[in-house]
Amino acid sequence: MDSLKKGGLFSIVGLENVQIRIGSVEEEGEDWEPLGPHPMPGIITLRDWDFKLLKRYKPFYAPFCDMCCLCTYGKCDLSGNKKGACGIRMDAQHGRIVLLACLVGCSAHCGHGRHLLHDMIRKFGPDVPIDFGPEVNVEAPLTRLICGIKPRTIADYERVFDYIEEQIVQLADALHTGQEGSYLDFESKALHMGMLDSLSKEAADIIQIAAYGMPSSHEGGGPDVPMVDVGIGTIDTDKPVILVIGHNVPPAAEIGDYLIDSGLDDVVELAGICCTALDTTRVYKKAKVASALGRQLRVLRAGIADVVVVDEQCIRADILEQCQRVHSPLIVTNDKALHGLVDRTDDAPDRIVDDLVNERVPGVVILDPERVGEVAVKTALQMDKKRRKLKLILSDEEFKYYVNSCILCGNCTLACPNGLRIGEANQSATTGNIKPLADLFDKCVGCGRCEQVCKRHIPIVDVITKAAYPQLKEEKGRMRIGRGPIWDSEIREVGAPIVLGTIPGVIAPIGCGNYPNGTKDAWLIVKEFAERNYIVTLTGCMAIDAALWKDEEGKTVYEQHHGRFDAGGVLNIGSCVSNAHIHDAAIKIASIFARRSLRGNYEEIADYILCRVGACGVAWGAMSQKAASIATGFNRLGVPAVVGPHGTKYRRAFLGRPDLKDDWRIIDASNGEEIYVEPAPQDLLVACETVEEALPMIAKLCFRPSDTDRGRSIKLTHYIDLSLKYLKAYPPDWHLFVRTATDLPVATKNELLKKLEDDHGWKIDWKSKKILEGPIRGYDPSFNPTNLKRLIRVKK
Amino acid sequence: METAFDVANIPGPDTGEVVSPEVAGSYISNARRPLLITGSEILRDGFFVEIAIEMLNMGIPIAATGHSIKGFVERGYNVNYYNLHELTNCLRDPEWKGMDGAGNYDLVIIFGITYYYASQMLSCIKNFAIEPLMRTLSIDRYYHPNARMSFTNIPPGREDEYKSLLKRLLDSIKR
Repeated sequence: MDSLKKGGLFSIVGLENVQIRIGSVEEEGEDWEPLGPHPMPGIITLRDWDFKLLKRYKPFYAPFCDMCCLCTYGKCDLSGNKKGACGIRMDAQHGRIVLLACLVGCSAHCGHGRHLLHDMIRKFGPDVPIDFGPEVNVEAPLTRLICGIKPRTIADYERVFDYIEEQIVQLADALHTGQEGSYLDFESKALHMGMLDSLSKEAADIIQIAAYGMPSSHEGGGPDVPMVDVGIGTIDTDKPVILVIGHNVPPAAEIGDYLIDSGLDDVVELAGICCTALDTTRVYKKAKVASALGRQLRVLRAGIADVVVVDEQCIRADILEQCQRVHSPLIVTNDKALHGLVDRTDDAPDRIVDDLVNERVPGVVILDPERVGEVAVKTALQMDKKRRKLKLILSDEEFKYYVNSCILCGNCTLACPNGLRIGEANQSATTGNIKPLADLFDKCVGCGRCEQVCKRHIPIVDVITKAAYPQLKEEKGRMRIGRGPIWDSEIREVGAPIVLGTIPGVIAPIGCGNYPNGTKDAWLIVKEFAERNYIVTLTGCMAIDAALWKDEEGKTVYEQHHGRFDAGGVLNIGSCVSNAHIHDAAIKIASIFARRSLRGNYEEIADYILCRVGACGVAWGAMSQKAASIATGFNRLGVPAVVGPHGTKYRRAFLGRPDLKDDWRIIDASNGEEIYVEPAPQDLLVACETVEEALPMIAKLCFRPSDTDRGRSIKLTHYIDLSLKYLKAYPPDWHLFVRTATDLPVATKNELLKKLEDDHGWKIDWKSKKILEGPIRGYDPSFNPTNLKRLIRVKK
Repeated sequence: METAFDVANIPGPDTGEVVSPEVAGSYISNARRPLLITGSEILRDGFFVEIAIEMLNMGIPIAATGHSIKGFVERGYNVNYYNLHELTNCLRDPEWKGMDGAGNYDLVIIFGITYYYASQMLSCIKNFAIEPLMRTLSIDRYYHPNARMSFTNIPPGREDEYKSLLKRLLDSIKR
C-alpha cells in the first residue's frame, strides 16, 4: 500500500500485459486542519483582498522611462500619462513593468527551487522527510497557507512547483500586448506573483534544509547555530582558495564533501559571495563568507580565488572576463548561466583540470554537482602554485601613475550609480592623501561602470582597492550561520508581546547591497533596533554586510546580541530563499498564538498580520528583480517594507494618505462597527533618502491598530526618540498614533500632553491627566480589527 | 542636448530645459504657490541651509525631506518634515490641501536631494501632476531631465561657481 500511495506505474501479477499508472494520490484523512476558502488560489481568487490593499495603499508610479518599446507599434511616448498605440496608459504600463519585474524575481526563486528538488531527489531520493525537529511542528506555513497541503517529504513539493509554474505562465501571459489594461489589475497580478515568490522561497529552503540537514530545531540549530568568519580579511590566501558565487548550493556542498572525504578541509579554503556563501556555511563548517554581492568585482579583482565556481543569480554577467583578468579558472554549474563555455560534464575530471590549469580554456560547464566538487578542488590545488607569483594588487608605482593620470573630466562620476566624486579623491591622492579614495571603497557598489568611461583608461576599481587595501585586509567580521525556521516554541513565547506591541516590532533587513552610502548603514539599522528590543531577522546580503562592522568592544551585532526570536535578538535566517521563514514567523503568530486556521486561508491570515503583527521589512540596498518580488510578497501578506533611495527605481510604491480619512476605516470584528483608525501602518512600500530618515520610518511602520496602550506607548517611545535622535525634531504625525493618555510614553507624558494641547489643540484634563478631545479614536482593549466583513462575529 | 548627471538617465522626448538663475528666479517670483523641497545634501555645507532659509524668509514654504530638517532645527527654524515619497504622493493629487490647508502648489523647487531619488519623484510629477500642470525646478548642481527647469551639471571642482549661481538666484527672486 505504501508504494501505491506514492503513485507510479504498477504491474498486476497474472496480467502480464496490463500496467496501471497512478498519478498523485490524495491522502485520506488529511484532517490536520479544515480546508480554508482559497487553496491554491488562481489569478482572480484573492483579487478582492488585493483591491482592499490597493484602495488604502494606492500604487504610486515614478517612471524610469517615459516610453514603451515592447512591440513594433512603438516606441510610444507615454509621458503625461498618455496612451501608447496599443491603448495602454503610462500608469498601466508601469504596473505591467512591475509585474514583469516580479515575474523575473519569482521565476528565479521558483526555478532555483525546482532545480534543487531535482538535484536532491537524484542524490537522496524522493522520500527525504521534512522533519525539522521537536520545536517545529508547523514546518511549512506558506505551503499550508497557500496550497492547503502539509508536506511530508521533499517529493510533496513536486505539486507545489506544478502549481507555482502554472500560475507564473498565466501571469506572464497577462504581460503580452493586448491583454491587461488596468494598473490596479496589473498590481493585483504582481501581488499574486509576490505571493508565489514567497512560496517558491519556502519550498526551496525546506528542500535544502531537509536534504542536507541544515540547521532547524535539531541539536545545535536555532539560536545555537555556530558563528562563521565574514570578510575578505578572513580568507587565508596562503592556502588554495575556491570561491563560490550565487544562490544554488549543491555544487558548493559537493566541494565541501570532497574536501572532507579527501582530508583536504584544512588545506583548502572554501569561501563564498552572496547567498551561496550563506548556504555553504549551513552545510560545511569550515566555509567562510568572503563578501556580499556589492564586493563581488573587488573580491574577484583582488585575485584571491584559485578557482571560481558559479551557480545561479547575482553573478556578474562579465564573470568570465573578470576571471580571465586574474587567471582564475571559472567553473559554471547551472544551465541558466552558461557564459558561452563548453559543457564538459561528461569528460574525465582530470582532463578538465588539466585544461583549466594550463589555461587551454578559461572555464568549463559542469552540470553534475558531484563532479564539480572533484574538479574544483583539484584545480585549486594546482592553480595555487601557479598563481602565487602573480601580483594582482596594483604596485605603489602603478597606483601613483594612475592617480596622476586623472584629468578630472568627471565622466566616472556621471557613470557612477552613487555619483561618487572619484576625480576629487584621485586629486587628493596625488598630494599623498589617499584617505578619500580609500573611503570610496565601502560607498562604491562595485559595478565598474566608471572604468568604461575613463578617458585615461584608469582601472578605477583597482585604484580604489589599492587605496583601501590595508583596511580590506582587516575586514574580519563574525556572523551566525543561517538558522532557517523560527521555532514554534519561540512563537509561543513572543506571539502575545508582538501582537500586544510590548515587543515593538520585528525588523527584517534583507536583500542586496545597492546601498546609497555603504555597508555601515546595514549595521546601524540592526544595532539601533536590536538595542531597542525589537527582534531583528536578517537574510541575504544585508545579513553579511551588517557583520562587517564592530562596536567599541570589537563585537559585531551577532556577537553582541542573542540569536533567539525574542526581544533584542539578531538572527541570521539564511539566504534569500530563507527569508520565507520571516513570512512564516508572522503566519505562525496567527496560527500558533491566535489559533487561526492556516490551511488554504491566505486572505484571513494576511488580514490578521496587517492589523496585528508589527513587522517591517528593510531592503536598504534592494537591487534585483527578486527584491521586487520579495517585497511584493511581503506586502500581500500585510507586511510593509522600507527601501533605500535606489528603491525608487522600481518605479512603484504603495503609499497611504493619512489625510484621506475614508482610507482608514476598519471593521471591529466583534460587533461589525466600522471605525476610523490611525494610519497603521501608513505605507506598504516606501523609500527613504538616508538611513537617518529610515530609522524613524521603520519604527513608524510597526504601529498596528491592535496595539495595546502599553504596546503603543513603547512603540511611540521609539518612534519619537529615533526621530529626535536622527532628525532632531518630533515626528510631525506622532499625535495621530495617540488614542488615550496611557498610549503616551510614561517618562515624557506631561511634556507630550502639553504638546498635544499647544500644537494640536487637543483638550486635556490636567487634573486626571486624561485626553478629553483630539484623537482619531479612543482606545478600546476589546477592539478586534479586520478588513474582512466575513469575519464579523455578530453583525449589527 | 544637456547630459543628465546620471548619464543614462534619458527619460524620453519630454526633457527639462537648462535655465539660468535669473530665469529660475523669475519663475519663482511669478509662482502663485511655490514650495521648496530640501534634501539631505544641503547638510554638506551650512551655506546651502542658509540659502534655503533665505528663501523661507521670502515666503517660500519648505518641506524638509531626508534628514535635512536637522539643518533648520539647529538654526532655530521650524519647518515641516516630510518623507519625499509620501510628499510626492500628495503633490500628484490636485485635491491635496497642502501643508497649510490652502491647497496644492503650482511650482515645486528641489534642492539638495539625492540625485536619483529626486529624478524619480520629478518623473512622477512630470507624468501625473498634469491637470493642473505642476511646474518643477531643480536648483541642484545636477542637470535633471525630469524637471521642467534645471541648473546644469556643475563639475566637482567648481563649487564656488555653484554657490554664486545660488546667490544670483536669490537676488533675482522678487516676492
